Amino acid sequence: MSQQFIQLVVSGLAVGSVYALVGLAFIMVNEATGVVNFATGQMVTIGCFLAVTTGLQMNLPLAPAYVLALAAMALFGVAFYAIVFRPLQDRPVVTVIIGTVMIGIVIQNAALITWGSVPFRPRSPFGRQVIDVFGAALSAHALFVIVVSFLMIGLLYLFIYRTAIGARMRAVAQDRDAARLMGISVDRMFVLTWIIAGLLTGAAGILVGPMWFADVNMGDPIALKAFAAIIIGGFSSVPGAIVGGVLVGLAEMLGAAYISSTYKDGLVFLVMILFLLVRPEGIFGERIGQRA
Amino acid sequence: MIERRFPRSLLIAGAVFLAALVLPAFVSGYGIRILNLALISAIAVIGLNFAFGYAGLITLAQAGFVGCGAYISAILSTSMGLTPWLSIPAAVVGSGIIAVAIGLPMLRLKGHYLALATLGFNVSFVIVATNWKTVMGGTDGISGIPPLALPGWPLATDHRYFYVLWGALAIATWCAWRIRNSHIGLAMIAVRDDEIATGAASVGVTRIKIQAFALSAIYAGLAGALFAHMTNFVAPDDFALSHSVIYLAMLIIGGEGSILGAIAGAIIVTFMPELMRDLGTAYLIVFGALMLLILIFLPKGLLSLVTIVGQRLKGRTTHAR
Repeated sequence: MSQQFIQLVVSGLAVGSVYALVGLAFIMVNEATGVVNFATGQMVTIGCFLAVTTGLQMNLPLAPAYVLALAAMALFGVAFYAIVFRPLQDRPVVTVIIGTVMIGIVIQNAALITWGSVPFRPRSPFGRQVIDVFGAALSAHALFVIVVSFLMIGLLYLFIYRTAIGARMRAVAQDRDAARLMGISVDRMFVLTWIIAGLLTGAAGILVGPMWFADVNMGDPIALKAFAAIIIGGFSSVPGAIVGGVLVGLAEMLGAAYISSTYKDGLVFLVMILFLLVRPEGIFGERIGQRA
Repeated sequence: MIERRFPRSLLIAGAVFLAALVLPAFVSGYGIRILNLALISAIAVIGLNFAFGYAGLITLAQAGFVGCGAYISAILSTSMGLTPWLSIPAAVVGSGIIAVAIGLPMLRLKGHYLALATLGFNVSFVIVATNWKTVMGGTDGISGIPPLALPGWPLATDHRYFYVLWGALAIATWCAWRIRNSHIGLAMIAVRDDEIATGAASVGVTRIKIQAFALSAIYAGLAGALFAHMTNFVAPDDFALSHSVIYLAMLIIGGEGSILGAIAGAIIVTFMPELMRDLGTAYLIVFGALMLLILIFLPKGLLSLVTIVGQRLKGRTTHAR
């Protein structure tokens, strides 16, 4: 019982930190550019399959395989910026929603044609290795996912709050026009934002691959959970995305084990809707004036 | 200008409507099924036009409400044994009630937040429909839904059902037209254009939003019920979130805020994949890219192309003189 509980908590934390990474990709883009990117889930898919290509199909060692996949995701972020974001920028909210959903459909079907409909099982750097903690057999990969995710989030935090470029990005997020008047190249900051979004979603895809399967339809479920996570945590808050992601991951794993495995996703969305209604600013609230 | 234009566009629309009556004589079995699906979508999109086109509410729940209508009518006409003539109105009313119930708390949200909350509703609907096997049939759905029938004349074939849908769409269009020009429709547009000023003019903004939301769900419920009695089978996949996005895309491609645009958008977008059959698996890529291009280059919808071309031609002829 308690061993099983520890295992569930660890796998919940692992899945939750993946949601946190994806949630952060949402938030970074939304804060800097005001665009809610509904194709974020498909970016995770691409990240996962790029690692399939480098790690399985090209059979590279995993370290260079991951680096290569992440570099490709950074490029993907730039391409997304140039092809999708630039034309949709400053359009009404609904146009952006539909536009990014449509590009998600394009990406998903391009992935289907490229990699086929049969799921892959990506390798983990730790294989199926199990670590014994207090008698509970914990998957080494799950622990790896947690460590890497929090390392990435920590680095991102340092980058945004401790570097000059990060300060410029925050300035653009706060007031685009004022930032431009201060001599900041807003466009360059946008490109950087999309690169970060590409890296975050790419990492999420690489990490989640060995836990589940690499399936071209994997994007939407992950994106929906990440949505729930950032709403629960607070739509524009970095700690909110982390807490929200972990909560959703834990709710999913523990809910499936102890409450109902069929309604585990329903539980997550029920909590999300309750948060929207009762505390729309999430746990780590933002200025309420912006939403009402 | 407007006074002159409206009767003409209505006249053309009326002519097209009447001309459509002879269509089944020329269209084969598969084509008529797609045509029927287009008419059903048109009803749902006219409904969506109340919420989004007039009241400016971004909702990603329309497919969920279509699903509510389809399942209510399906359950009532199979396990309860009700005649479709009663189960369809019940589905319409039921969808409206559900919309009011979830609209009361949700419609306090705006923009992205409303979009995400309604998205949550749509996803939850599919989860419930997939898992509540005893009532909603799970992934297998509900089969054996009886077709509509007049005494001694079942409307079981797609060709006959076309006329049912044609009639339903005509009534739905006429009602929408009346509502648009009533004080309810005008109040919705006022809320979209300036919510604060409308509230200050002591118009109940929340009540109007709920009316718009309920109207869109009522139309969706009708569309869903009509769908259920055409296919005789409902399953969760037909009401997934992606369909809500497609309904929104139909409305925008036709031209938001216009009833005729809603119908045109529904028909164009339904037939688009059929025209791209030859592309095989790549068709969704082309479809998505095409939608994106229309959004970027024709933000007022595909029908605005007609006006633009018209103006260009006019400009050219005056120059020539």
